[in-house]
Amino acid sequence: MRRVFALGLAALLAGCAPADDRPEIVVQRFFGECGAVYGASTDVANADTECGILTTLINRFEAENPDIRVKVNVVAWPGYPQLAAQMAAGDPPDLVTMHQSVISDYSSRGLIEPVEGLLAQAKIDPAGFTPAARAGVEKQGKLYGMPWDTIGRLFHINTELMAEAGLMRGGKPVLPNSPEELLAQARQFKAKTGKPYLIQAQVSAPDFMVAFLYTYLLAQGSPIYPDDRHIKLDTPEARAIVTLMRQLNTEGLTTRDQDFPAATAAFTQGKGGIFPVGTWMLGPYDAEAAREGSPIKGHYAVAPFPRLWGTAAPFVDGHAWVVPAATRSPQERAAMARFLAFLSRYNYDWSRTGQLPAFAAVLDRSEFKALPHREDIAALSRTGKQLPGYVERQSAVQGLIGEELEAAITGTKPVETALKDAERRVNRLYAQMM
Amino acid sequence: MNRARRDALVGYAFVGPFLLVYAAVLVVPLLMGIVISFNNADLFGRREWIGLANYAQALSDPVLRQAFFNTLTLTLLIVPPLTVIALLLALALNRNTRLAAVLRGVFFSSLVLSVTIVTLIWRFILTPDAGLVAVGLQAVGQPPIPFLSDPAYVIPALAVTTLWWSLGFPIMLFLAGLQQVPGDIYEAAALDGAGRWTVFRRITLPSIRRTLLLVVMLQTAAQLQIFGQAQLLTGGGPGGASRTIVLYIFEVSFGRWELGYATAIAELLFGMILLVTLLQYWFVTRQEGDRA
Repeated sequence: MRRVFALGLAALLAGCAPADDRPEIVVQRFFGECGAVYGASTDVANADTECGILTTLINRFEAENPDIRVKVNVVAWPGYPQLAAQMAAGDPPDLVTMHQSVISDYSSRGLIEPVEGLLAQAKIDPAGFTPAARAGVEKQGKLYGMPWDTIGRLFHINTELMAEAGLMRGGKPVLPNSPEELLAQARQFKAKTGKPYLIQAQVSAPDFMVAFLYTYLLAQGSPIYPDDRHIKLDTPEARAIVTLMRQLNTEGLTTRDQDFPAATAAFTQGKGGIFPVGTWMLGPYDAEAAREGSPIKGHYAVAPFPRLWGTAAPFVDGHAWVVPAATRSPQERAAMARFLAFLSRYNYDWSRTGQLPAFAAVLDRSEFKALPHREDIAALSRTGKQLPGYVERQSAVQGLIGEELEAAITGTKPVETALKDAERRVNRLYAQMM
Repeated sequence: MNRARRDALVGYAFVGPFLLVYAAVLVVPLLMGIVISFNNADLFGRREWIGLANYAQALSDPVLRQAFFNTLTLTLLIVPPLTVIALLLALALNRNTRLAAVLRGVFFSSLVLSVTIVTLIWRFILTPDAGLVAVGLQAVGQPPIPFLSDPAYVIPALAVTTLWWSLGFPIMLFLAGLQQVPGDIYEAAALDGAGRWTVFRRITLPSIRRTLLLVVMLQTAAQLQIFGQAQLLTGGGPGGASRTIVLYIFEVSFGRWELGYATAIAELLFGMILLVTLLQYWFVTRQEGDRA
């Protein structure tokens, strides 16, 4: 009996691994899962796509910092329901990818920490952030994250069809300077090519319409959020913008009934002139335009949204690394600082995705300028505007506005009614907010 | 201790552990949900007692009203056809042939797919650009139909998707019910010269009445909670035309963090499902009582 007991004890002890006293950081990110391709990759320069580059960066950090244990949670985009549940349960991760527009939801409740101390520890000077990136993470005078990029909407352009429509000059697409010009050019495009001027993902993707509305409201200096509990959408400026979008739809100057995959397929198959979609599609479309046999081979250009009203003020957002509030040891904080410092050194590699860098120095690097089309869009880092830092629930609000805009643009509701309804629904949401 | 008492205690010992777990993971959250629904509450534990205000708001919320009618329409478009089709297929497949066995497997196979796969398959069928239906229509010179973006088509599209996905389980229930019907009743009916319709109406249908009730009750409860198909295929759009009640609860709780309001809607939905299910049960058992 004693022998059996001794053998059992020995087996138990043999199963115990030595204690791992390395500091552990839990990194939670979206951008997808691509372990099958990049699971073992540490070659950052040769990684592609958001998922590939970030997976490779984390692998490389682990390889270069064996004294830190990194646990990675990959969440389905955007991952905020999971994060909220983790915070509610008192078990948040240490570093999280977060859209800058969402930060105020968490900072206002003390759910994430200001990061000035961590940035100082990582020797990252916030003065080096681009204006758009800094505006994205600065809330009530404090920095609530390390900005990672600036994302905005661009006009992705099929230059072959634009040339066929007579809308190219000096090798550059001719873009409109007023709503009337936009309609005129769109009609000319359709008459000459028989195809729609715009390709739009209108099914299950309301964010583009909201970005379009915000961009041209910001351009006209129209105060969208007069304070932190009210939105103002029932205005002549908003009505003019939505009426233009409706007109494009009514006249068949844009594709209809497409979701994002269908719209992307339409663009890469040359079925329309301009696809207004995010900076994140720059890399994939540029690769498609370089592929032999592609209908857009050699016929691809990008530009920020044209200035139709007022000044150039494209609505932008961005990604940031934020720190959920929690008690952490100095060793863990030091490990987090090293992780942020490491990421900041690779901000150029991240900008290969198509997003604009968060660090101004990257914009001046020759490698960045040599990337395709980057000179055309770099201005977004300077001119890009975010909503005021006190605006909360931007994601939910975009859903509400997007739904009403969809109804207005497709003709289900009059423009004025849809804007009134959007205003009422958003203000009710703010009235309920604790 | 007498034998009856000992047997009773043994019985309680068997069900006790399950009852405890059941109460812990179902009844307690249900009661907590009722309490939360009387509060203005967020996801992070903040609570402010507001009495019945969430319920009053729910009754005057036009978005919830639209979601309610969408859900009801979907349930009506799904449950009756699903029950009839499943019953007809079960009658056809209730025989001992190899073909019937293969077809039983085929019809059951859709049920093992996750909602993600099902919606992906139906997106490829319904999308107006290169979907299967669009290709067919274009081949005969007809324009494609925007099933997923036209308010008039989006609910029928979700109903068809759900019908295709959900057919397997009711077929299996009906087959199990049909195999319980004693063969000698059918033999007696044959001797009496009863026709197929008479046999179905007088013997088969009354014999599987309980199974029929079970199928209708289960499907009604399931379809009133329809969520995944609407979220993945249409996101509730266009303009909320396919938003269901559970999708709205999800948006309100996890998108807007209005936990109190979301739980109030959830409690109303719970009450509605309970009421509909009890009504169905009462309707069928009352008829049985009248017959007895």
